[in-house]
Amino acid sequence: MVLTDQWLHYLAMTSSAPSNQPALSAEHIWKVFGSKPERAVELAESGESRSDVLAATGCTIAVRDVSFAVKPGETFVVMGLSGSGKSTLIRCVARLIESTKGTVNVDGEDFTAMNANQLREVRRKKLSMVFQHFGLFSHRRVIDNACYGLEIQGVPKAERHERALEILGVVGLSGFEYHYPQQLSGGMQQRVGLARALCVDPEILFFDEPFSALDPLIRRDMQDELIRLQQTMKRTIVFITHDFAEAIKLGDRIAIMKDGAFDQVGTAAELIRNPATPYVREFTEDIPKAKVLTARDIMTSGGDSSRRVESSATVYSLVPLLLNDPTPIAVTEDGFVIGQVDRESVATLMDEA
Amino acid sequence: MTTTPTSDRTILNRFGPYLVLLAVLIAVQLLVSAESFPALLDDFLKDPIDSLGAWGQVNRRTHPLFTQFFAPLTNTVDFGITTIEDILTWLPWYVIPAGLFALIARRRRFLDATVAAAVMIYPGLVGLWEPTLETLALMSFAVFASAVIGIPLGIWAAFRPRVEAALRPFLDIMQTVPAFVYFLPLLVLFGIGKTNGAIATIIYALPPVVRLTTLGIRQVPAQSVEASDMFGASASQTLFKVQIPTAMPTILAGLSQTIMMALGIVVLAALVAAGGLGGLVLQSLNQRTTGRGIAVGLAIVAVAMLLDRVGRSLADGDRTKTLSRGAKLAWAVSLIAGVLVGRWKEWDTFPTVWTTRIFDPIDTAVDWAIANWSQYTRAVNDFVVGDIVVPIRSFLIDTVAWPVLIVLATYMVWRIAGPKLAAFTAAAMATIGLIGMWDLSIDTVVQVMIGVIIAILIAVPLGIMAGRNARVEAVLGPILDGLQTIPSLVYIIPVVTLFTLGPMPGIIASVLYAIVPGVRITALGIQNVPSESVEASQTFGATRVQTMLGVRIPLAAPTIMAGINQVIMMVLAMVIIAGLVGGGALGFETVRALTRNLYGHGFEVGLSIALIAMVLDRSTQALAQRFQPPAAT
Repeated sequence: MVLTDQWLHYLAMTSSAPSNQPALSAEHIWKVFGSKPERAVELAESGESRSDVLAATGCTIAVRDVSFAVKPGETFVVMGLSGSGKSTLIRCVARLIESTKGTVNVDGEDFTAMNANQLREVRRKKLSMVFQHFGLFSHRRVIDNACYGLEIQGVPKAERHERALEILGVVGLSGFEYHYPQQLSGGMQQRVGLARALCVDPEILFFDEPFSALDPLIRRDMQDELIRLQQTMKRTIVFITHDFAEAIKLGDRIAIMKDGAFDQVGTAAELIRNPATPYVREFTEDIPKAKVLTARDIMTSGGDSSRRVESSATVYSLVPLLLNDPTPIAVTEDGFVIGQVDRESVATLMDEA
Repeated sequence: MTTTPTSDRTILNRFGPYLVLLAVLIAVQLLVSAESFPALLDDFLKDPIDSLGAWGQVNRRTHPLFTQFFAPLTNTVDFGITTIEDILTWLPWYVIPAGLFALIARRRRFLDATVAAAVMIYPGLVGLWEPTLETLALMSFAVFASAVIGIPLGIWAAFRPRVEAALRPFLDIMQTVPAFVYFLPLLVLFGIGKTNGAIATIIYALPPVVRLTTLGIRQVPAQSVEASDMFGASASQTLFKVQIPTAMPTILAGLSQTIMMALGIVVLAALVAAGGLGGLVLQSLNQRTTGRGIAVGLAIVAVAMLLDRVGRSLADGDRTKTLSRGAKLAWAVSLIAGVLVGRWKEWDTFPTVWTTRIFDPIDTAVDWAIANWSQYTRAVNDFVVGDIVVPIRSFLIDTVAWPVLIVLATYMVWRIAGPKLAAFTAAAMATIGLIGMWDLSIDTVVQVMIGVIIAILIAVPLGIMAGRNARVEAVLGPILDGLQTIPSLVYIIPVVTLFTLGPMPGIIASVLYAIVPGVRITALGIQNVPSESVEASQTFGATRVQTMLGVRIPLAAPTIMAGINQVIMMVLAMVIIAGLVGGGALGFETVRALTRNLYGHGFEVGLSIALIAMVLDRSTQALAQRFQPPAAT
């Protein structure tokens, strides 16, 4: 991968400064498909189930009272199976479709109340989206796909092409600028989608199952690529997936969505250690916990030792250390010892699995 | 479809209703056998239209409807066409092919540019330069107008389902009703001349570009539109930067079809004095000069080809393939210089090289064929007309009582398409009878049926062969292309000389014309059978015949039926046109009404043709639907 250092530096400089205000929040989002949405919401709020509401009103509840907040620079993953309402949710949040009820705030501003002009302004300046089926423009070359957002903003051609060339280099598409998207492989097409989204330098990125249509190996490449980019650019990301392993790999926090509502929201470790519902447990069961949980998750209280590991080290990486030498290892964070791990704490975890 | 349980039912129970129906039919038959359909509404419909037509003729110069609306419209259209024509004839002849070349080559489409320039030169070489420019002016006006009207209409319909629903019946009727029918009403409004030809062409050619524009815009992937929205694009930015460009290939396909349809009507437009190449085809038909007819027909094909290339080039927005500024300038300068020099030297008309007489050997060949084959062709003619067409016709008209026919036809349509269309069929047949078009319509339908049966017997087996064997397809390809593009009235000429006037040339021409979609669509259906289904059949040890009958044909059946629907519609259109060559029936009446200003009669004929077309179209479409496997739930 060719990295333009300058550009990554620039991204790091411009990324939103951490603050307490969420970059994006959604409050009590409802989306009902059908002719009597308000009635359906009323019924559902009084506790009727999805199928009862469907029988009574003929309306389908796709998203049911979902709230969440995403911190600046955080990657928030919504994981759900098909029909869970995750794609509808992200479209409501991005206002590609209008939600039946609820508000979305972008940088503290009420996004749902904006008129068409304000909406366009915010989208031009702050938002981007990457799509499952890429949504590329088949009549435009890769470079013109990448700079589409800038074109919409009225940026002059020379300037936007320069920027597009730079960004295409960052996502590893140098040399393909003047191809048409359909001449590229699926993985490379999604790199075009990613470049197109990054080209406008958005604060918030929406990913709607971006890697689902790709082969497993390409998918892994693209996940690694996103992690690499996110390490420097620190954008606020809402990421939709049906793949729990992908959710764990990419998400700072993960929401498990079922039947239009969130079953549980938490970090990967929280979901794995304390699944709130049997449904969540089902996903966590196949996950090799030792590769997800870290020293911090299994440490017990204890003092310093001659051997130290970072609190973020995976349990898996501790196994060889403890096999060779049974003495406890100190867990450190920011140079301070915060606990210790030993053979027993690792064995307990393995037993749970 | 579903079989009723028969366990405790007697034969009588099962067939009882049919027997009752049969008994009623026989009774009706015996009661009214000899009577012809009472044409109660004939005058009721004809008289007001006749007086309307007469009123139009009298008031053409005075009434505000004409002076304020139709006359200015007519004048504008006429002015548009005449201006194009004047410019084309004013230009030195060589500037036209050179200009076409430059226009298309500006996007580096050198092959298209060469083709367009070459086909533009052909009419000049055979001495058809001026009528070709006339036709070119009329056609380019009609096609341009169709695009200007049709594309926005199609886009509007794509965004507003209600608009689409409102448009659909009109488009259906415009497409199913043979073009011949609307010349007469247009004659009342626009009078005789180029405008009438242009407007009829626009009406006839409009549906494909509207339909395919709507389809193209709808087929733009939803995520492409969402992506554009997410960048904050306005609705018009998304429309012009994403939706229209993405839909452009489909829109162009629609425009190509529109050009083909406009080409199909150009000969008929000559009947209302639109002149140009169409008039020459009619002349050749009257003089039975096959060679000249073919020469003119090829010139018409040339016009269509170059309009197609120019349309494609104009729609090509890819500026990256454009010629350098210097090259463009050089072209512009040399074209202007060419114009100046040409005007100065008066090189405005194409130099005489050949005339259409170089096609005379074809006439010699036809003469030879007549001398050597006419004893057989005449015999075939006499057999088909005397032993098939006439007996069937007189059986249906003179022997079978009309209520029996209505009940039988309604019952058949009911079984195929359900009660709604059955009611429409009964109403349509009753209307045709009441306005006094019963006998003529039966005559037309009999010719259509015979044409359709022959066409299907030829087209479906050929289509299956072509679908299975690439070599057969390669051989058939150019023949089908030729049959499709050369105006049908051109190849009717040798057929008329061989088989004499009468229903036979119409039937043969309609078969030739209609087998094209029949073969093409059948081949497509066979080719599109999933290879896995075929392989599954083969792994069970099925023979080739078993696989063909058990897998390929059933899976291709919905497509083949769609092809048959087109065959029927094209045979009908052609049988109507065959009124020009002694096909009689409704077609001849159309020509007669058109040439003698029989407005009321012409309207009745047109209405009958339209009703027949709609019943045939909808019932065969319903039939095709029944071959469709049930949709997934």
